[in-house]
Amino acid sequence: MSEARELWRRLRMLFHRRQFQEELEEEMRLHLELRAQEHVENGLSAEAARRTAYRRFGNPTVIRETSYMTWGWGWLESLVQDVRFALRQLWKTPGFTITAVLTLALGIGANAAIFTLVNAVLLKDLPVVDPQSLVRLGDSDQCCVNRGPEDNVNYSIHSTDTWQRFKQNNPEFEELAAMQAGLNPLVVRRDHSHEPAHSVNAEFVSGNYFRTFGLRAAAGRLLQDSDDVQGAPITAVMSYGLWERDYARDSSVVGSTFWINTKPVTIVGIAPEQFYGDRMQSTPPDIYLPIESMPGVRDKDYVHEPEARWLYLIGRVKPGTVLAPLRQKLSAQLRQIFATNKYFSNAHDRTLLDRVQVPLTPGGAGIQNMRAAYGSNLRLLQWIAGLVLLIACANVANLLLVRGMGRKAEMSLRTALGAARARIVRQLLTESLVLAVLGGIAALAVSYGGAELLLKLAFPASSDVPIHATPSLLVQGFALALSLGTGVLFGVAPAWLSVSAQTADALRSGSRTTGRASVLQRGLVVIQAALSLVLLVGAGLFAQSLSKLEHFDMKLDATNRYIIHFDPQSAGYSPAQLAALYQAIEDRFHQIPGMVKVGLSSYTPMEPYGDNESFRIQGQPDLHKTSSYIWANSEYFDSVGTRVVMGRGFGPQDIASAPAVAVVNQAFVKNYFKPAENPIGAHLGGTDSPGDFEIIGVVEDTTYGSVRWKDHSMLFLRLLQQTASAGKPADKATLHYVRAIVLETARPMNTMEALSRQTLSGINPDLSVVKFQTFRSQIGEQFTDARMLSRLMTLFGGLALLLAAVGLYGVTSYGVARRTSEIGIRMALGAERSGVVAMILRSALLQTMFGLAIGVPVAFYGVTLVKSQLYEMTTVSGGALAVALGILLAAACVAGLIPARRAASVDPARALRAE
Amino acid sequence: MQRDEIPPGTLYLLILKTLALHGELHGYEIADSIQRTSDDVLQVEEGSLYPALQRMLIKGWVTAEWGVTAGNRRARYYKLTPAGRKQLALELSQFKRVIGAITRVIQTA
Repeated sequence: MSEARELWRRLRMLFHRRQFQEELEEEMRLHLELRAQEHVENGLSAEAARRTAYRRFGNPTVIRETSYMTWGWGWLESLVQDVRFALRQLWKTPGFTITAVLTLALGIGANAAIFTLVNAVLLKDLPVVDPQSLVRLGDSDQCCVNRGPEDNVNYSIHSTDTWQRFKQNNPEFEELAAMQAGLNPLVVRRDHSHEPAHSVNAEFVSGNYFRTFGLRAAAGRLLQDSDDVQGAPITAVMSYGLWERDYARDSSVVGSTFWINTKPVTIVGIAPEQFYGDRMQSTPPDIYLPIESMPGVRDKDYVHEPEARWLYLIGRVKPGTVLAPLRQKLSAQLRQIFATNKYFSNAHDRTLLDRVQVPLTPGGAGIQNMRAAYGSNLRLLQWIAGLVLLIACANVANLLLVRGMGRKAEMSLRTALGAARARIVRQLLTESLVLAVLGGIAALAVSYGGAELLLKLAFPASSDVPIHATPSLLVQGFALALSLGTGVLFGVAPAWLSVSAQTADALRSGSRTTGRASVLQRGLVVIQAALSLVLLVGAGLFAQSLSKLEHFDMKLDATNRYIIHFDPQSAGYSPAQLAALYQAIEDRFHQIPGMVKVGLSSYTPMEPYGDNESFRIQGQPDLHKTSSYIWANSEYFDSVGTRVVMGRGFGPQDIASAPAVAVVNQAFVKNYFKPAENPIGAHLGGTDSPGDFEIIGVVEDTTYGSVRWKDHSMLFLRLLQQTASAGKPADKATLHYVRAIVLETARPMNTMEALSRQTLSGINPDLSVVKFQTFRSQIGEQFTDARMLSRLMTLFGGLALLLAAVGLYGVTSYGVARRTSEIGIRMALGAERSGVVAMILRSALLQTMFGLAIGVPVAFYGVTLVKSQLYEMTTVSGGALAVALGILLAAACVAGLIPARRAASVDPARALRAE
Repeated sequence: MQRDEIPPGTLYLLILKTLALHGELHGYEIADSIQRTSDDVLQVEEGSLYPALQRMLIKGWVTAEWGVTAGNRRARYYKLTPAGRKQLALELSQFKRVIGAITRVIQTA
């Protein structure tokens, strides 16, 4: 209590200290005058009276100082003084200050920016209630519908039936929600509105989905169990994003009817604003529908197929639940379920059964598909940024050391004049702290810009990614703490070194020395050179890898090609109507002037989708090999530029009623046939119906999926053809739905997108374009990651190079400055200018060489760590190494040459006179 | 005339007591009063009064207010607070205890 009042009084004094000084001054003046007056009255002369008064009073300056100190603000005063002095000192050497601040800013800012992304993508929880008690029943990213045994023993997606059984038999779960693994776009049109049908991303979820996450509707209500019942009127929840974007948060949306895939659906409510679904993705779902509405909306029957696994499961466990026994219990239940599953019936699969597991992972961050997709890249970037920071720290340390040594004489002089050592150390420390704070502030600016930039690089196409590029308070604190740590660490050493030197020695020796930069300094330069080499080699390798990827011969032709993704099923087409639709599409698109080919297919090259099945050649043993397959029309091969190398492609004669035919790629031939065996005329089909299709041709290995996917068997089937046996893969009529139209035109056509939309809606207003892009941009999207990595590596490599060059320059020019008089003497004694340049350059290059010698093996080791992220490169390529070495040596020459030339221009007479 | 330095630590006591006797005084008056009351024996280095007064202000033993002297000069007048009175009592009893002890030691000899 009294302490608080005391503090309050002290503070009041602090804020009125000018008034305080004046009042004290006045008080003391009055005292002296009254005393002097008294002496005058006692008969002393005015002058003697004044002197006597002063003698009895004591030294007014000391008293003023003591009074002031009594209030306890002395430390603050001297801190302000120190900071002011430090700022003045820094201001006097702008080159040093700017270099150091920029170095810190770039090093720390880059780390903060990357940490922001890492935090958002890898660490952040979903915006839901109590994310800690959520548990996911699975551990990997899966798509979309699986039936047979997985390659690995962990099961991450489950069937509707399994979900329901898990829910019933495990009271450990307060709630157990299910959600679709592979999302699909649906076609949405509001009732009684003139808006055209458009595609939105939708997710089918269980009735307890929102309740499991503990969410409350932004408007209306969220889904509930009664919505997720077979035969119930179809209801849906709209995302806040769509509600705001397309309907201006119109409250009448809630309760109104929307036509989703031509089916009437009532929107019952709006999801909360922050909720972006159960997983981080570039296009978050805009419509949430109950699982049981899937057959009605999408005509998909696998919802009720006990073997079809298509759901991710996330549950909220009751407090105190121990996960290990729960995991065993769930795994046992799943084994039991699989025991009666027909896909596990053969002997080989039964042996897998015992090892079936349901992994339990933390569910608070949702389905961490982005962690799977970007985790390794982000971690790599984090390492790289860490290396850059290390270089930056070494650089700042070096700059401070150089500066500290340079001021040795100044410090010695100050010590000789009576300054306390502690005071000088404090002053130097203040200077590095001020520098660190300036660097920290600049780093924050860099981290804001950097995170924004990284986000743009990472997700160039989408503006809807639910990641905010604003560094969190944690990141900002991290950046500041880091810079302060650097400041203290690298400020203390030079401060101590400069004071501990013997004053007299330092003053006497002046600048006459042949000493070079200290071992510590040269060591720092060596480390910088080594790390820079590693980063530059890395940048070179990633650039090479990207170039290899981009120049890979994908055996296709993207010139004047356009790809339209659409979904006839969403537009309400039944299998029986497809023949007419495809005919109409082919006809209408061919009417567009300049149209060359119109291909139709279930999917296209270089897109991340695919259908796989086990195939078998008739008359041969089952090889248990799977192949991807595509349903295509007759112009498809030409439209994507795939060349037929043997037999023929699909022709007009392969009508729906004709015998079913197939075209295979060369990899398929290699995988399924013996060498020199003629595949043409052979029959193949699903494992149970090998006679379904006759092979009529072989095509080149056009790349599907990814260029990393080599020797991939592809099978092409003629669209709409039925097989006699109705076995796999032709057993489902739904497989005849195409998803893509590939157009080849005679010349580039900018109006193609508008024309395509017109043409499709001319056929049926419900036919909407899910995605339109040129073939080239579809291919380009597959390289986004590689391109981002390559660009960032180049960025960081350049940064490292710059920092290392600055560091080398600093040390060399410091050495030159210290040896000015030595050089002067050498030149007075007849040394050649070129000899001086060579001498200085030699020592600069020696350090770099030393660094490179260390860096080369480190680079080789580093590559083994990032091999998986490089395309077809397992070790350091000679080219990348040579380029990196060349760049670094050139940088070292430039950084060494400037001070070397300065040294050579030393005028011997002046250098000696300067003593 | 013989003049003695005041024993260390007693300056606060002297100031507190003086203020208790006279109510409001400014710095010069305090110094003067101490000197006169002690028949010019106790000699304060007058300036040291001011840091002591600052400390007493911080502690809340005295308050200060500007007023006008008889000679029509502006001066800062110090006044005891209740806390100051308590402090005076404390210091007084402490001083008496010490002096009593010292006296006893000296007289036994």
